[in-house]
Amino acid sequence: MVAVDSTPVVGTGGSGHVIEVSGLGIRFKRNKRARRSFKDLFAGRRRRARPDEFWALRNVSFGIRRGEAIGVVGRNGQGKSTLLKLIAGVLIPDEGSVQVRDGVAPLIEITGGFVDDLSVRDNVYLTAGLHGMTKRQIDAKFDDIVSFADIPGFLDTPYKHLSSGMKVRVAFSVITQLDEPILIVDEVLAVGDKAFREKCYARIEQLLAEGRTLFFVSHSERDLRRFCTRGLYLKKGELVMDGPIEDVIDRYNADYNMGSTPPRAGA
Amino acid sequence: MTSLTEVRPAQRTAFARYRHSLWLLTKRDLSVRYTTNALGYVWSVLDPLLMSLIYFFVFVVVFKRGDRAGEDPYIVYLMAGLLPWTWFNSAITDASRVFAKESKLVRSVSLPQTLWVARIVLSKGIEYIASLAVLAVFAILYHAPLTADVAWFPVGLLLQAVLVYGLGLIVAPLTVFYKDLERAIRLLLRLLFYASAVLYSPTQWPDHVHGIPVRPILQLNPLTGIMSLYRSAFWPQEFNAFHVIVSAVGSLVILGIGFLVFRRSVPAVLKEM
Repeated sequence: MVAVDSTPVVGTGGSGHVIEVSGLGIRFKRNKRARRSFKDLFAGRRRRARPDEFWALRNVSFGIRRGEAIGVVGRNGQGKSTLLKLIAGVLIPDEGSVQVRDGVAPLIEITGGFVDDLSVRDNVYLTAGLHGMTKRQIDAKFDDIVSFADIPGFLDTPYKHLSSGMKVRVAFSVITQLDEPILIVDEVLAVGDKAFREKCYARIEQLLAEGRTLFFVSHSERDLRRFCTRGLYLKKGELVMDGPIEDVIDRYNADYNMGSTPPRAGA
Repeated sequence: MTSLTEVRPAQRTAFARYRHSLWLLTKRDLSVRYTTNALGYVWSVLDPLLMSLIYFFVFVVVFKRGDRAGEDPYIVYLMAGLLPWTWFNSAITDASRVFAKESKLVRSVSLPQTLWVARIVLSKGIEYIASLAVLAVFAILYHAPLTADVAWFPVGLLLQAVLVYGLGLIVAPLTVFYKDLERAIRLLLRLLFYASAVLYSPTQWPDHVHGIPVRPILQLNPLTGIMSLYRSAFWPQEFNAFHVIVSAVGSLVILGIGFLVFRRSVPAVLKEM
């Protein structure tokens, strides 16, 4: 059950948490690409081998207070991005619940809402609108969005004619202008040139200083240390550690990086 | 950066957000269609117009059965059926592909998932209403006067929207798991086209053919009643209360099934995205 709260009251429940994750679990088919066809449908139950499934996350529980900056640590395939998607509400858990008691600006697949054939201007209005902004709010923010993206003269160009760097810049600047109190970031910052990356970092720091809650997934120790105060360490779909970011990074390094051959991860 | 005090999206009601997003996505569909095709509007009426002319040629010119197939003028009768059929057909076809086509958007924005289907129903419905201008032109050219029964038109619209939405909610998630269903649906739609009273009046159905109760079976088709509502605008005798009731009940039942199927399958659909 998910309860993505959208009531007008922006409370924090009894617990004082803006994000409350309890007993969270989600399972996937091991072979994700295998699609069942009509043949399976008519072959009867016995012949349809139950595709083996695995838990991408299980028994994950934690609470996040307003204004905290959380970094999620773990190797590839340990459930980090899945956790982010569950919090962003684009996946639904099989077990437990995710409660998000405030608006979310998800920097996940940021170019996802953009339509190739429409102009940059139309795309800005569309994407910001789908994330819940009204036309008037977008009007007020439009100049900020455009100047941050730094694409003068391309406003009425079809989105598909932009370079891939420009596409990401537009998308990033739309999502970070959403004014939502919770920011979810999934390694999108790895793209774009160095100057723009630094600009993005500065923007995120500014948002943090304004009291936003940050939920951040990255493999870069430097970025994690820069933004985050608290770390969550995911290993084989379980939350193995929840503590100050320095301690979590040290534990992670002790597990994997330090000289010795890294143990093979389960997945 | 000051405006955290403004009304943020999360503070508006769920219903207001749904309506807002539905309208944005519908506008997007329409503007993509009209900015990428120079003949935007023409395309949405060309298909039913051409089909009407073809069937007119076949039934009236070649077989000389225009007097029996439906009401007079037959060309108007055909168009009154083919235009709503185009809405039905294109919306179901699009719904069967929606999760494949919009996967990027579904992955990146957290919205009620029924929106992806609802917006197809709405944008295709708007195209249908816009295409009625062509029907009006033919009605004037062929002297088919409107009657007071045109009051049934909004009821027809509503029933068709309910029916298309319900079917869309069923096919959209299932095609994610069963890829071949997309083709099967196209085939079934063609079958349904000839089984529905689009080209002819339901009074033409025989009761039995070789012991098969043709009429009782075909009468269960909810499209029949919808067609009768639309056509009664020109020919009041086309109104058939029994068909309309079957249509209303059938559409609501299908919508209920649609919500159930959709709600149960959506967590699995999102995993496939």
